Amino acid sequence: MQRLHLLKGAFCGLAAFQQQLLIGSAVAAGGILLHMVLKRKQVKSIPLGEGWWGAGKKPLSEDDTIYPFKVQTSDEEIADLHERIDRTRYTDPLEDSCFQYGFNSTYLKTVVSYWRHTFDWKKQVEVLNQYPHFKTKIEGLDVHYVHVRPPHRENQKVVPLMLVHGWPGSFYEFYKMLPLLTENQDGLVFEVICPSIPGYGFSEAPHKQGFDSLAAARIFLTLMERLGFSQFYLQGGDWGSLITTNMAQMKPLCVKGLHLNMFMSTRGIKVMLSLMIGPYLPFLVGFSREDVRRLFPFFEKNVWDILRETGYLHIQATKPDTVGCGVNDSPVGLAAYLLEKFSSWTDLRNRDLVDGGLERKFSLDEVLTIVMIYWTTGSIVSSMRFYKENVKGNPDNRVDAKTGIFVPTGLAAFPGELLHCPKSLAQIRYRNIYSYTFMPRGGHFAAFEEPQLLANDLVQFVKKVEKF
Amino acid sequence: MFTEVLVALLIGGLIFFLVQRSRTQVLKAEDGWWGAGAPPDGGEDATIRPFKVTSSDEELEDLYRRIDQTRPVPSLEDSQFNYGFNSQYLQKVVSYWRNDFDWRRQVDKLNRYPHFRTNIEGIDIHYLHVKPKKVPEGSTAIPLIMVHGWPGSFYEFYGLIPLLTEPSDPQDLVFEVVCPSIPGYGFSEAPHKKGFDSVCAAHVFHKLMKRLGFQKFYAHGGDWGWLVTTNMAQLEPEIVKGLHVNFAPPSKPGLSMTLSIMLGRRFPKMFGFTDMDIQRLYPRMEKLVVEPIKESGYMHIQATKPDTVGRGLNDSPVGLAAYILEKFSTWTSHDFRNLEDGGLTRKFSLDDLLTNVMIYWTSGCIVSSMRFYKENFGKGLYQPHSKMPVYVPTGFACFPDELMHTPKLWVEQKYHKLVTFTAMARGGHFAAMEEPQLMAEDIQNFTKTVEKKK
Repeated sequence: MQRLHLLKGAFCGLAAFQQQLLIGSAVAAGGILLHMVLKRKQVKSIPLGEGWWGAGKKPLSEDDTIYPFKVQTSDEEIADLHERIDRTRYTDPLEDSCFQYGFNSTYLKTVVSYWRHTFDWKKQVEVLNQYPHFKTKIEGLDVHYVHVRPPHRENQKVVPLMLVHGWPGSFYEFYKMLPLLTENQDGLVFEVICPSIPGYGFSEAPHKQGFDSLAAARIFLTLMERLGFSQFYLQGGDWGSLITTNMAQMKPLCVKGLHLNMFMSTRGIKVMLSLMIGPYLPFLVGFSREDVRRLFPFFEKNVWDILRETGYLHIQATKPDTVGCGVNDSPVGLAAYLLEKFSSWTDLRNRDLVDGGLERKFSLDEVLTIVMIYWTTGSIVSSMRFYKENVKGNPDNRVDAKTGIFVPTGLAAFPGELLHCPKSLAQIRYRNIYSYTFMPRGGHFAAFEEPQLLANDLVQFVKKVEKF
Repeated sequence: MFTEVLVALLIGGLIFFLVQRSRTQVLKAEDGWWGAGAPPDGGEDATIRPFKVTSSDEELEDLYRRIDQTRPVPSLEDSQFNYGFNSQYLQKVVSYWRNDFDWRRQVDKLNRYPHFRTNIEGIDIHYLHVKPKKVPEGSTAIPLIMVHGWPGSFYEFYGLIPLLTEPSDPQDLVFEVVCPSIPGYGFSEAPHKKGFDSVCAAHVFHKLMKRLGFQKFYAHGGDWGWLVTTNMAQLEPEIVKGLHVNFAPPSKPGLSMTLSIMLGRRFPKMFGFTDMDIQRLYPRMEKLVVEPIKESGYMHIQATKPDTVGRGLNDSPVGLAAYILEKFSTWTSHDFRNLEDGGLTRKFSLDDLLTNVMIYWTSGCIVSSMRFYKENFGKGLYQPHSKMPVYVPTGFACFPDELMHTPKLWVEQKYHKLVTFTAMARGGHFAAMEEPQLMAEDIQNFTKTVEKKK
């Protein structure tokens, strides 16, 4: 009290202009502080941009009708496949090489024999058609998607959700999760949209150069808008993770929550320091013991293994037309190329197994269906081009790499994922993490391999955001 | 007393130092066994069997059927060769292949020179052996082994061989040429065991030359051939009289090389850099980092997953052609990436290009050819041979459009006895096939220089 009197006395003692100066500075300082506080709270977004990817010139108006679509096959298609399989020219693997040189040819013959004589594509097509498919034209391309409406809607909160796949996956990877998300009756249920990235599966491939994840994100936002959803959730892994992240950056007000099973941080001093100090003083940089277990030894796990596993990325990001050409003619070549990933990226130790551990987590019917989607649509080349389009120029300088993500985010860290990202590093970009879960098992193809685990994590995340 | 001990120590130290310097490092290699299963009890079969390239109606029919069943995917608008082999131009090449290319005639051309096969360390090694018809009085033909690379074959040397075995200029030396296929390439059997790298290939080729009765010989190579012949020179420097290469990427950056990269643009004279050196090395990031990354995707995947990437190529002749011919376009000149037709037929004829592809197709060797990358890179970048210099007289032909440009300073870092270094007028990576005349001239020039020095 006394101090206040003293200050008041001193203030009144000042000359008039001095008083004004003091008041003016105080107001100015207050204003600057307020601006800084407001700016930090203000959610940054990235521009939508625009594009048109059809053949030739853009027409004046575009048809935005939604057409139902059914996956089809024919006897000719199957006969052609069988004929090509019968004419495969195998090369013996080196003795004792297991999966270290790529997909082992001896085991490949087993897979192909099943494919030729037991696999029933017509039956699988019916499996695919169990959910309704649609196509609609956006930015000049026919975009394919699966739309699953929950059967029990009364007394339930229906939440719209889009699931985005990656490479070498497809919408089909989510099929085991769909019933877990759309058929619950505990109060919260999802209405799911599952599109194919343009250039993958039944979505038309872009005809122009430059179709990157930002373009895909914009197209998928348009799709949700066209379907009448103003707010929705997103889930993705692999390319799906980047695309859904971009979607959240473009229209943060539309994305109620973002759930990812693959995510990366940025480069930078903080990351480097964390990685150097992490193994010794993990708590200092926000690493848990599980983080340390998954991240280190750094060089072995993150550098050498990545180098050993990223040859495909390097060649697809530079010469997609060349490497895709041969695998579009040879179904066995295509199967080896794609299924090698389902082996190695589920567990890197699979490289030392004679059969690549492929059938430990997946059935041959499931993985061959994914291969057939690439085969029957002939989309392997366009799927590979996506790598080149996203790596053009310097990806670190792209607007989305320099912008944070402010929508509620849920991160599911699977132990077999190629690159582990601790929460403290993820927080550099994802500024609003609601949940970060160390998943007990599972690799890169989480939705395909551990649908129950992923669905559970997604549901708990959404319930958190919805304050259920 | 004290001074005497000191002087003795000094002289002793000097002698030791001199002896150390003159003691050259020699690469060692062990005998291997690359055949299937365990080696047989009896000795090795050392017979040399004549070999003829053959074809059949079934082979051609099968090829044509597969070509007809190709499922082409159109390239993006205006992308030329920037995404890889342009699909529209590929259709033209394939159409020629299907309708005009005469494989039987090409097989006759291949058989123009005598081919042989012999079993070494468990695998059948294929090679050409071309003896000159006329040798000038009082001299003998000079033995020369020429080793190809990937995605090439012995066929790359067909334009060069006559210029060496039957030179038109009477002043020129006459050569006796041996042209093997690296095991796993073309008509040489592929190794069945892991670990067959360039040193193993060099060891096998030494055995080959011994078996053919050559005590000393010259060696020439480009691409993998460069490394195999370099290893041959490192394994037995007494036997390799001279080594001629047109490709020599440095295996490890030494001090002088690093300094020259940092300061070379400012002080070219200090490092012996010519205008061409400056042009091809700078700007540094673009020429030494970005460009190699853009072009080394194939190397990365072949050095890690050869069985996967080669799988489809062995079933799809068009896929194989696209994969191989993309290199004949881009590695002849980087600018060709911006051409609709990749400039493919500017320096090569479709007949020659497709013959090379057919060698890979008919022998089904694409997977084993790719494994060579994993065997060589998979053990780590710093193998004993990459740290060891070469003491054999060496000639380097520096072609302007070669993939990796190596100025004289860098070549000298490894090749301590660089006898000739020629800035060639034109040509890219497949120099022997693209500019046989220029290559022959340089080989003549180099060999004459070495022969005179003796």
